[in-house]
This record gives sequence, structure tokens and C-alpha cells, in this order.
Amino acid sequence: MLEALSYFATSWLNPELLALTALGTFLGIYVGAIPGLSVTMAVSILISFTFSWEVNNALCLMVGIYMGGVYGGSRTAILLNIPGAPSAIATALDGYPMAQKGEAGRAIGLSTVMSVIGGFVGIIVLSVAAPTVSEFAIKFQPRDYLMLGLIGILLVGSLSGESLSKGIFAGALGVLIGTVGLDPLTAEERFTFGVVELWNGINPVAVMIGMFGIAEALNQLHHLDKTAIKQKVDKIVPSWKDIKKYLPLSLQSSSIGVVVGSLPGTGGDIAALMAYDQAKRSTKNPEVPFGKGAKEGLIAPEAANNAAVGGAYIPMLTLGIPGDAVTAVFIGALFIHGLNPGPMLLTEQPDMFWFTVGNLTLANIFVLIFGLTGIKLFAKIVEMPKGILIPLIFLLSIVGAYAINNSIADIWWMLGFGVLGYFMKQYGYQVGPVILGVILSRLIDENWRRAIMSEREDMGSLFINLFASPLSIVLFVAICLIFISQTPIWTKWLKPKLSRG
Amino acid sequence: MKKFLASTLAVLSLASTTAMAADYPSKDIQGVIQWGAGGSTDTVMRSVSPLAEKVLGEDIVLTNKTGGVGAIATKYVYSRKADGYTLLMGAENPQMYKVLGLSPIDYSDMIPISILARGTPIFVANNDAPYNNMAELIEYAKANPGKVKSGSTGKGGMTSIVMAMLQSQVKLDFTMIPYDGDGPALTALQGGAVDIMPAVLGAAIEHIRAGRMKVIGLVDVAANDLLPGVTPITDTLPGMKSYLPWGPFFGVFVKKGTPEAAVAKLSEAFHTGAESEDFKALMKKRGFTVMGTSGKEAVDFLESYRSVSSWLVYDAGFAKHSPEKFGIKRPE
Repeated sequence: MLEALSYFATSWLNPELLALTALGTFLGIYVGAIPGLSVTMAVSILISFTFSWEVNNALCLMVGIYMGGVYGGSRTAILLNIPGAPSAIATALDGYPMAQKGEAGRAIGLSTVMSVIGGFVGIIVLSVAAPTVSEFAIKFQPRDYLMLGLIGILLVGSLSGESLSKGIFAGALGVLIGTVGLDPLTAEERFTFGVVELWNGINPVAVMIGMFGIAEALNQLHHLDKTAIKQKVDKIVPSWKDIKKYLPLSLQSSSIGVVVGSLPGTGGDIAALMAYDQAKRSTKNPEVPFGKGAKEGLIAPEAANNAAVGGAYIPMLTLGIPGDAVTAVFIGALFIHGLNPGPMLLTEQPDMFWFTVGNLTLANIFVLIFGLTGIKLFAKIVEMPKGILIPLIFLLSIVGAYAINNSIADIWWMLGFGVLGYFMKQYGYQVGPVILGVILSRLIDENWRRAIMSEREDMGSLFINLFASPLSIVLFVAICLIFISQTPIWTKWLKPKLSRG
Repeated sequence: MKKFLASTLAVLSLASTTAMAADYPSKDIQGVIQWGAGGSTDTVMRSVSPLAEKVLGEDIVLTNKTGGVGAIATKYVYSRKADGYTLLMGAENPQMYKVLGLSPIDYSDMIPISILARGTPIFVANNDAPYNNMAELIEYAKANPGKVKSGSTGKGGMTSIVMAMLQSQVKLDFTMIPYDGDGPALTALQGGAVDIMPAVLGAAIEHIRAGRMKVIGLVDVAANDLLPGVTPITDTLPGMKSYLPWGPFFGVFVKKGTPEAAVAKLSEAFHTGAESEDFKALMKKRGFTVMGTSGKEAVDFLESYRSVSSWLVYDAGFAKHSPEKFGIKRPE
């Protein structure tokens, strides 16, 4: 125990490590905030950069970037409606409307505190239940991933705004966009029309930047004469009362975040979207409706995506299986530094586990510190005259789209989807379901096919196997419940009966 | 006049290439990695590059250009100038592009700077599987056709070629379940979604050491130090000898036409990297055999890999084109 504590405190007591963690977190917030610059990219660049460093120094910097980066994605989502990363998509849904009402400062303050709470939940689960959670996580069969994807796609119901049919159309468009490229299972070309550049598919981040950032900027052109709303910059740090009030929601969202983050096939983006959906379902009477600037809609995804960080570390540290793209790079880094990232790491290098836990905790504290400073300045961005702000959004979107893969083609995609998103909004189609479709397309596509291949193309035995494990039963029941609760059977018939009873 | 201009330009450009070759490298070199961050190709390249940088005296800027089983990166490097400033850092996949109809460019259109290391394929199985070696697996699969689920990484991937080798010796009915990479497939193996899988030793070694999966076959002609007590597959299936030793590899390549001085300098740099104790220790621990070959030896190795794999895939019936079309000879 004492030993664990000393490993835990390694990065806290060593000034050099402390400074590197702080630096990493600070950089991470900005890497995360700039759309197109991803944490995965930053961390893999650091691998070669820190090649000759001590392993602990390198890890401190990288962990900081990871923690800060996941949080940083919310910044541009709230201020400019451009999610810095896919895990901040759900944040934009209510964060941006808040900023438009002059509450950018409060939104950032709230998202910071909730991210930190989420981060801590992730770290606590990592430190007390890592082996159990990882054994659970690898038990997920293709059919379970399929059902998880289906639960995700049911979110279209929450995201489609005024018209469900338009939402379903938008979601289907997203799924279609997601299928472009070489089929991940057979490497056959799909919708590529013989163009090699399309083999890689259309980058979801390019779609995201276009549909959110550019579409909104184009939309703002209609309101050029409107003066920007004065931002309220007092009470930025949420009151203790508020934190207490939203604590149950943030804990619920964090739990979703940890579990979804720990699954090797899903990450923070899906976690945040699922938490948003769950919040919308479980919040009875929000002060402000969801999609119009509900605090609950901001809290849920922010708590979930930072909790997913701790979650992603769970299979990585216990089994050597990455929980997401960033932890995959961490495994590479450990390997290069001469450690054996694998299921033996815990026994051979027990220090590594507690060092990482301590380091994540430290980085999470730095997120709180850096997150809450400079908010006033950032909130002013929204107050900028539109004539300056809109070109800036364009610039940021273009740079971001290029940065994804250093490819000009991504800029064109981004701009194209921006224009498409603009017209969709004009005709009452929400862009949220499109992104949802793009993100979930592959998860559902791959796992549906794997699931049915495992049963040798027999639908009957696939259905029977839905009841083969407790996990599958729970997921199947969840899908049925979500589905029924959204249909007339429930609202017209079952619900009144139940409430009367 | 026009002619004069053209020839002057030609001479000038020629002069500039030679000048460039003489003081190569005079600027940053771009290294394009075929596979994603954190994968085995990525880690190998990111660990060898800093060592090569020391010799070259210039930075190697690494980028991951993933997709199309590496064909996108390959095509990209091929589209650049053959000046030695763009390196392709890849795995074995391009050698199958032609027969699979994925791309008209493979390593025969490139110059190998260095084949860094080679992996050994093995068969792993879920701990609960009722077989412990290849003979038992074959017997079980024969008695239960279609019941054994095998992880795979797509047509032309390492798993499909090893499976084709096995099928060429004994016809078995496996249910193949594709994954995008051996990492996710090995995870699925531990979770019970697949029963067996051909994998590179390096990718599975840590899981084997921890007892999370078992080795049931070593696809090589001789026993391996890292796997005590596991007999080579040729003991069970002597016919496999004609294909082995065979295995996936990692190498650094430049486009054909790159000045010789640049090729020599790069080869020297990457050999120094591959020969360093750090790199060797790293590779050994992960079950990779360090090769560090270049020149004719590397070309022969590449050709032999291409011919064995292409014909296997063709005979197994999932090639788009006959290897003959590209002048790939059937291995003797």
C-alpha cells in the first residue's frame, strides 16, 4: 500500500515531472481545442520527440496532453460550434446555444468542472476495479458491439429536432457517408468510383468540421447586422449548489463514459453521445429544453468523455489492449522505451500502474486550473464582430481540415459538407444525426457482419444467441425498452396504466 | 532556340540532382508510415528512425498515411520525386497488391533501403479450446466442420496466407471472421469471439507469456527460443517446407530512380539503426528477427516473399489476377 502511494506520488513530488505534466495538459487543451489536430496525432509525434528521454518524463507529457486534449475539445464546440474532436460533438449541441445566449463563460466553467469530475470517476474506477472491468470489457462479442451501435443510432430520436423523419433521413445519410471507402473487412471498394483517394473513406472529422463550423458560419451570415450578445462573465465557476444539484447526472454520465471508454471497440465520442442521450431521457424537467442550451446537455457529454480516459487505460494497463486510439499509441511508446506493455505489465512493473494513476490525477487537477483561467478572455471571442469572427471560423476550419491528414482533399470535403449542412439547416434538417451516422456506421457495419458470419449466416441462431450471455440480454432489453418508450405503445397505452398502478 | 533552352534546362536539372545527391541529405526527410499510430509497423519505424537520424544528420519527419492496406501510402511515395527525401516505411502488404488488384505498384517498383526485421507466424487459440497442437486442431476441425472460428485480417493479409498454406496441405472448414488488424482480432480471441488465429509472434507474445492464450502451432521450420516446447508445424505437415521460412516483414523503401548516393547513405543510416543494441533488444523481446538487409539480398528476399504468397493466394482462389500476368514466377 505504502509502495503504491509512493509510485502514485512520483510525478507529484518531482518538480521536473510536475512541470512536464502541467506543460502537457496546457498544450493538450489547445491541441484538443483546434479541430483537426487530434490527441492521437500529438501523442504519436511526441513518441519520436521524446525517444531519448527518461520514460517517466515522456509519459508525464503524453498523459497531460491526453487529459487536456479530451477536455479541450469542448472549448471551440461551445464558442464557435466547431467540436475540437469527435468526443465534443454532443457538447456543441447545448454548449453553443448557451454561448449564443451570453453564457459562454458559464458553459466553459461548468464543462470544466464536470470534465474534472468525470476524469476523477474514470481514475477511481481505473485504480480500484481495473482487472474486473477489463475482463468484462473483452467479453463483448460482435453481437454486443452491434447492439451498442444500435442503441447509439436510436439517438437519432433525440437529435432530430422538429421532425423525426428528417432526422432519420439525416442519420441514414451519415451512415451512407461512413460506408465510403475500402470495406474494412474484405478490402472491396465501396462508393469509391475507382478513385484511390476515396479508399480511405471520407474523414468523419472533415464532415464534422464542415457540418458544424462552416454550416453555422454560413448561417450567421444571415444575421450580420445583429449585434453580438454581451457575454456575462460573472459567476464563471459554477456554484457549489449547482455542482451538488448536477452531481447525480455527472456520475451517471461518468459511469457510461468509463464503461464505453474501456471497451476496445469504442471511445470517448460514442460515450459522450450515449451519455447525452441518457441525460435527455432521464432529465424530467430541464430548465431549458435540450438543444436550446440545457445545462444537462453540456454536463453529460463532458463528464462522459473525460471519464472515458480512465476507462481507456483499463484494458491497456491490465491486458495490453488499447481502449482507444490514444492508448494504442501509449502502448507503442512503452514498447519503444523498453517496457513490455501487456498483461504482464502489472506484475513486472507494478510501479507503472500507480505512476499512471497518479499522473492522470495530477493532469486532471491541471485541467481544472488551466480550464478555469482565461475564461473571460475566451468568452469575448463570441462578442467579436461577425465580420471578424466568421472569417476566423473559416480559417480555423480550413486549417483544421488540412491538419487531419495533411490532405487538400479533406478541405474540399469539409467545405462541401459545410454547404450541405447549411442547406440542411435551412430546410429543418439537423446535422447532429448525420455525424452520428458517420461515427456509428463502421461500428454497426463491421459488427453486424462479424456477428452474422460467426453464426454462418444463420439469422435464427443469431437471435437465439442474443440470450446466450447476460450481457447480450441486458443490451437487448435496453434496446427494446428505448424503442418502446419512444413509440405510441408506451406513451398512449402502457405509461398511463403504469402510473395509475 | 527552344532546343537549346530545353537542353540547358536538362543539363541544369541533371547538375542539380547530382549536386543534391553529393551533399545528401541537405534538408528534412519525410518518412511515410503505411499503418496507423501504435501499430507494429509504426512502433518499429518510430524506434529505428531516431537512430538513423543520428547518422544522417537531418530530421526524419514521420507521418502516418493509413488506408487501403497500405496502398495509399505506397502510391503517395511513388508519386513524389525520386530524390531520397520521401521514404516509404511499410510492411509486407504491397507484395500482394498486384495479384489482388489493389494497386499496380508494389515493392518491385521501389528500392529497398533496408529490410529491418521479419516476424514469425504462429497459431494461437483460446485457452478453453479443446486442442493443444496442430495435429489435434486438424483432427477437431475435421470432426466438426465449420465449428472452429478463426480470426482473420482480410484477404491478402498475413492470416489469409498462412491459412492458404494450411489449406494447401489439408482441407479444413473454418468459419473466418475478419478484423481490421491483428490487435483487435487477438482481443476477440481472448473474449471468445474467435477460437483460433494465425498471428505474428510479436503481436501475441505478451499475451502468451501471461497465459491469456495458448500457442498451438509455430509456422516455421525450426523451433523458436521464445516458445520452448512448441514444435515447428513442418513436423505435423512436412509439405509446408516448400513455403517456409516465410513471414511478414518491415522495411524502408524509396522510389526507383533515386540517386545511388542517397540510397547508399540511407541504407547505411538504417543499418546502423538496425544494428544498434537498443533496436536489437527491442526486436528480440517482441519475437522479431532483425534482418537489416539491403541491395540484392533484399531484392531477392522481397521477390521470394512475393512469389510464395502470390501463388498461394492464387491457388487458394482469392486472387484477382494470375501472378503470371506480372511475371511472378512460381516458387520451386
